[in-house]
Amino acid sequence: MAVEHIPLYVGILGGILVVLAYYITVAKDLVYASIALALLGSFNAALIALLGFPIVAVFVVIVYVGAAVMFIIIVISMLGGEQREQREEFRGVSTGLLVASALLTVLAGAGIYLVYSKPGTYTVSSVSQVLASRYLPALGVLFVALAATLVEAISVARRLEQQ
Amino acid sequence: MTWEAVSAEVFMFAVALAAIGAYGVSVTRNLLRILLSIEVIFNSILLMVVAMLSAYPALGSAFSIVLISIVSAEVIVVVAVLVAYYRLSRSFETTELEEGGV
Repeated sequence: MAVEHIPLYVGILGGILVVLAYYITVAKDLVYASIALALLGSFNAALIALLGFPIVAVFVVIVYVGAAVMFIIIVISMLGGEQREQREEFRGVSTGLLVASALLTVLAGAGIYLVYSKPGTYTVSSVSQVLASRYLPALGVLFVALAATLVEAISVARRLEQQ
Repeated sequence: MTWEAVSAEVFMFAVALAAIGAYGVSVTRNLLRILLSIEVIFNSILLMVVAMLSAYPALGSAFSIVLISIVSAEVIVVVAVLVAYYRLSRSFETTELEEGGV
């Protein structure tokens, strides 16, 4: 891939992400909104791969889109996507503008918007080494959190059965 | 010059995603729509984290993998709680919670 074309590809993928994100917030049927979330995750993975992080992109597609978002789609499909909804446009627009201005102030003020540089080569084993050494406490917490999630989901389901 | 342009573009789109997610969280009282909007904000945060840690690719990848795993676990718990709430109240509106719970 030619390096000079990368800003164009990033622009196209970013534009698709923004359109999908807006569709998620306005779609009448939540089933379509959740499918748009799956597409957004996939395009985000494509953008992350384009930025030089293919391992993270694969993880996003398999774990996030393939498991978590699919779970959301299945649950919303079972419960029915067209839900009663009250909307307050002024509150939404003002919050969105506030968040955008706060983030832009921080990113531009600290010069963070220019920190990205093309990452060097790295392998799955180097990522595993970091996870098993520097991130070992985080990995331990992650295992406990995932086990707690499993127990929590089972207990919620069993409580509903008993009721 | 190319990478500076890419950096500015990535952060601009991440800010746009975060703003749209915040709009989605605030504009509605439907819990499912709020969950979907929070996921949009997560995608924005992931994009920013990847761009910020690009100088340390192995560290950035490890951090992102931990982040994605925690968010996936959180989604499953939140959806389980929402299903339980729906079976009690037959609605996803937060107004019933504000009026004294179910």
